[in-house]
Amino acid sequence: MSRTQPLSLTAPAHQAYAHRPWWRQTIAGRSMKELALVYGLLALVLIETLYPLVWVLFGSLKTKEEVIANVWGPPSSFVWQNYAEAWRVSGMGARVVNSLVITGSALALLILAATPAAYALSRLVFRGRGLLLGLVVSAMLVPPQVMAIPLFMTARDLGLVNSRIGVALIHAAANLPLSIFILRSFFLSLPMELEDAARIDGASRLQILIKVMLPLIRPGLALVAIFGFIEIWNDFFLAFLMLRDPALQTIPLGLVAFFQQYGAMWNLYFAALAITTLPVILIFILMQRHFIAGLTAGAVKA
Amino acid sequence: MAQRRQLAARLDRDGTVATLMLAPAAVLFGLFFLWPFFRGLWLSLTRWDGFSAPVFVGAANYLKLAQDRLFLGALENNLIFVVLILIFKNALGLGLAILLDRAVFLRGPIRAAVFIPVTLSFAATGLLWSWIYNPVFGLLNAALDLVGLSALKLSWLGDADVALYSIVAVDIWKWLGFHAVIYLAGLQTIPHELYEAARIDGAGPLHRFRHITLPLMMPVVLINVILGLSGAFVRNFDIVQVLTQGGPNHATEVVMTLMVKTAFQDGNMGYASAMGYALFLIVGLACIGLLALMRRAKVAL
Repeated sequence: MSRTQPLSLTAPAHQAYAHRPWWRQTIAGRSMKELALVYGLLALVLIETLYPLVWVLFGSLKTKEEVIANVWGPPSSFVWQNYAEAWRVSGMGARVVNSLVITGSALALLILAATPAAYALSRLVFRGRGLLLGLVVSAMLVPPQVMAIPLFMTARDLGLVNSRIGVALIHAAANLPLSIFILRSFFLSLPMELEDAARIDGASRLQILIKVMLPLIRPGLALVAIFGFIEIWNDFFLAFLMLRDPALQTIPLGLVAFFQQYGAMWNLYFAALAITTLPVILIFILMQRHFIAGLTAGAVKA
Repeated sequence: MAQRRQLAARLDRDGTVATLMLAPAAVLFGLFFLWPFFRGLWLSLTRWDGFSAPVFVGAANYLKLAQDRLFLGALENNLIFVVLILIFKNALGLGLAILLDRAVFLRGPIRAAVFIPVTLSFAATGLLWSWIYNPVFGLLNAALDLVGLSALKLSWLGDADVALYSIVAVDIWKWLGFHAVIYLAGLQTIPHELYEAARIDGAGPLHRFRHITLPLMMPVVLINVILGLSGAFVRNFDIVQVLTQGGPNHATEVVMTLMVKTAFQDGNMGYASAMGYALFLIVGLACIGLLALMRRAKVAL
């Protein structure tokens, strides 16, 4: 994005060689032939990526019979009541509430625990700091999925199976090491002088963290929250293990259960899928600049 | 003595505050990460149905794993999954990134569009693709009909020879945009003058790719491979469970789905734990091996 095309050599070409056939002409330093190839291939990728989603939208507005009779095309008439019916039959309202409760409390727990810990590990002097830091880094290498069985047992002993807060606690713990690591790198990037000045003014460590540091590491908190949100909102595995009670199931579990429970209500399945995925896609499209910037900054600098 | 105490005090200047600030994280991490991790390690050395008292059996579970045809089959599927995913996600991701880098107009919107599948849940992606693969109204067979390749129509998830590859294709579809976006960011850090200079020296496009793009992109390739590697081993439960539940006849079984079945259908908690840790060990070794390999390759380039 930031790279500017060098204009010196090639830019005037399309004026000077205007009599050439179209594929020899250039735009912004690219030959028409190259651009045709690039956009042709990109169009294929876009079809492959987006058509399945458009297909779901089409299907969600067809009748049950038309889904099978007219596989490809747009619906012949829009059956809007599919949405109301899918919402009612699948009990999606309760699932949305469950997903919101679990994701919301997990993110709150995560940020409340990770922020002071990251601050302590980056700025405070105490014994055992190196050891704790090593523990955080090694925990990042352990995928929590491999210890699913003992996690389930621990939750059972604590009475946290079939508990939304139990799932939230486990999600928060699983995301803790990476979040502490990300936030610590943000704290380390802030100048020491800021803090010294506040200390001279008599501020306590906790006051410094809340009043001085927190506003400055907001991008870090946003990054942690975005990654955590995608992970927790979309989780199927942990919810599948922990939430056996249908009344407590999250959106991903509810979608799969709806599909497995009722036979061949294809148009309603499409509608249920559309209801649950479109809001996430819309939020992503609205925030995609911040989102992609955060993602690539982390990966390319590392 | 007094000096020593002073030094100790300075090294532990913020001891009290630090303890308070670390306490919430320590409780959460200790209870739901450290404790289960070591408890599971111990469980993997026992025979346990989850209710009665566990019986210590030493390494018996691990020895049994080495001869368990179901487990070895799941492990083999897992490895096929990992290798195919790493190759295709990186090759296609880099290819798409190069296309995006060359695009003069609409680059931002196209980049956002290809990223959309990344934001979908595995449950939604899995359901969507189980319909695309559906033999009755599925998009894929309909597409083959449309382009006159009806002979290639298959029962994509029902045929034991194809089902695993059908699942791999879904995972690639979901993550392609993610890897492309990271590669694109890497490509944009390569100074344009390098390409100009090579072009003036008469280097063709393939030559420029081989000698400029690829070497300079190696660190980004490394990140993408590492990001994909541990995920490819352990993050496939959702997609397999939704698409095939490991069937037909264990043809798409991976270690995670087999582990959950062993624990909750057969009630064999100790053995299931051992599966998790065996996989963890294999992932760890694969990561270390890959890092060593990449380091050597980097020196060679």
